[in-house]
Parts: sequence; C-alpha cells; structure tokens
Amino acid sequence: MSFDDSVAAAQEWANAADPTPTFPMLLDRELLLGELYGIYNVPTVIWIDEDDRIARPPVIAPGDDMFRDFTNIDSSVHHEQLRAWVRTGALPPPTGREQIMLPTDDEQLARLERRVGAHLCRTGQEQAAEAHFLRAAELAPMDWTIRRGTLPLRGDDPFGEKFFAFMGEWSEAGQPGYGSADPDAPS
Amino acid sequence: MASITSLDAEHGARSAPGTVADGRVLVDPASLPSLTGWTLKAEGLCRGDVCVPVRDPDLTVGASIDLARVAAALGRPAVVDADQAVVAMGEPSAARRGPIEAGIASDFTLPQLDGGSFTFSSLGRTKKLLLAWSSW
Repeated sequence: MSFDDSVAAAQEWANAADPTPTFPMLLDRELLLGELYGIYNVPTVIWIDEDDRIARPPVIAPGDDMFRDFTNIDSSVHHEQLRAWVRTGALPPPTGREQIMLPTDDEQLARLERRVGAHLCRTGQEQAAEAHFLRAAELAPMDWTIRRGTLPLRGDDPFGEKFFAFMGEWSEAGQPGYGSADPDAPS
Repeated sequence: MASITSLDAEHGARSAPGTVADGRVLVDPASLPSLTGWTLKAEGLCRGDVCVPVRDPDLTVGASIDLARVAAALGRPAVVDADQAVVAMGEPSAARRGPIEAGIASDFTLPQLDGGSFTFSSLGRTKKLLLAWSSW
C-alpha cells in the first residue's frame, strides 16, 4: 500500500519491482491506514495472522538495501524473520525499539489538516494549502507521513533541505516512534 | 451558490451545492447523505441503524445545515476552510485507538494501482503482510 498522492507516482516504483508483484498494490492517498494501524513512517510492515490479529505491530523494514548506508538497516533480517513466522509461526525476539503508537486527538486533527491541504493542492490552490500543512506539522511534528509525505505535494524535494531539517528535529527529539525490524541497526 | 467539498479518509472528496456565511459552511440537508453518509431526521443524525440525538440549536441556519456543527454533534474532529468551502471530517482518536490497542487488524477498502478496489478482508484466513511504502 503506497502513501503516494497519485497512481502515477506509485506506479513508477511498482513497475520497476523485479520480480513483478503478484500481491495487491494499493494507493492510500488519504493516509487511512496511518490512522487505522498507527503508521507514522515508511517503509513500515505489520504482520497479521489468520484471525486478523496483529502478530507484529509496525516496524520499519526496507525491502532491499538500496538505502542501507543511510538507514543502517539490513533488509535481509526482516526477510528471514518473516520466512520463519510464515513457516513455523515463530516471532522474532524483541528489538527493544518496539512501540505501538496510538493516534492522539492532535494527530487526528493533523491528518485532517493534511487532507485539506492535499485536496487544495490537487485542485490548484497550493497557496491556500500551505497554512493547512503548517498546522498539520505543528499538531504532529514527528509524523514522517505528514512532515516528509507532504514535501512532494508542496513542490519540495523529499530528499532535500527541508527533509534534512526535519531529520535534525527528529534526531534531537530522540528519534521517537517505532524502530526497525533489525535489532542490530543503530537507533 | 458555491460548491462545497466534504473530505474523509474513506471517500476522499465529495461535493454538493451550498453556501458559506460568516465562516460557516452550509448545505441543504438533502445533500448531507451524499456528502457525509449521515441523514438529518426528526430523531437526530442517522446512518444505518444508528441515530445520534442533536441538541444544538445552531445546527441549522434557515433551511441549511452547518457541516462543522454536524461533525461536533457526532463527536468527530473537523477542519473547516471557509474561504475554500472545504470541510474535512474525521474519526475521534478513541475510535482509532480501540482496535490498535486490542491488536485487531481493521478492515479497509482502497483503490488498486491497476484499477478497481481491494478489500482487505477478501484475503480470508491466511497470514498477511501489510507494507506501507511510498515514492518519497
């Protein structure tokens, strides 16, 4: 499920996937699953068992090592954990950085502000959108789906100056949020 | 008469004719179901078998209904941009926290990249991996 704002933005990456995905590829441009599952960053994985219970709450798990120099996360760790769970039901030992994040009133309001801003951008009212994005950032300052996820909508580079400024804020705040699936990745 | 837009997570943007007066976004009560899924009845605001009594005398202005007051009457958070005639109505945090705290995977329906929509529960009794990703 992609948190992109358009099929076109997500499709480019879906088309590049090798092998071609056989699973459903969905678009969640309103961040519905952010509030339903407590997702605050990407890439996030959640394991769900046969009874639709959460077997493993959200953790960060890149699909490959493209950004390993940046994240320090070994993607193969999650792959092996996932294979073991599917085959035997075994859950990995705790990483110490697990955190189930429950939506707060402010975060729900932030998602609404982001939703209004995104709608205004889609309808060519970028200037009117900005106040909503700023308010969303005030309400949910550590939510990557809001702080970083709105950068493309605002014409900003999601790997540019504003992103690194946010990274600095997040690091100074102690890197709040759930950690990665790799227990050896530095926090 | 302006075009009023209502936003929510499940349906995105839905529009209907309405007016904006004194910062209030107003629509004909007949448009309320198509905008929000709720209907104004004698017993209150109703959706399916559920009716929420409304005691707010300012819910309506003349023959129109105030969308922000609808959200308040339902106990839902809302963001109003009267200048742009947009109202976003959300779910209370408690409603979202409940299933997460209970460890229950909520059902959802989302559009697929290659067209059509997909409902999570259609996967049935199998182990599932939910991956949230993005191009950014």
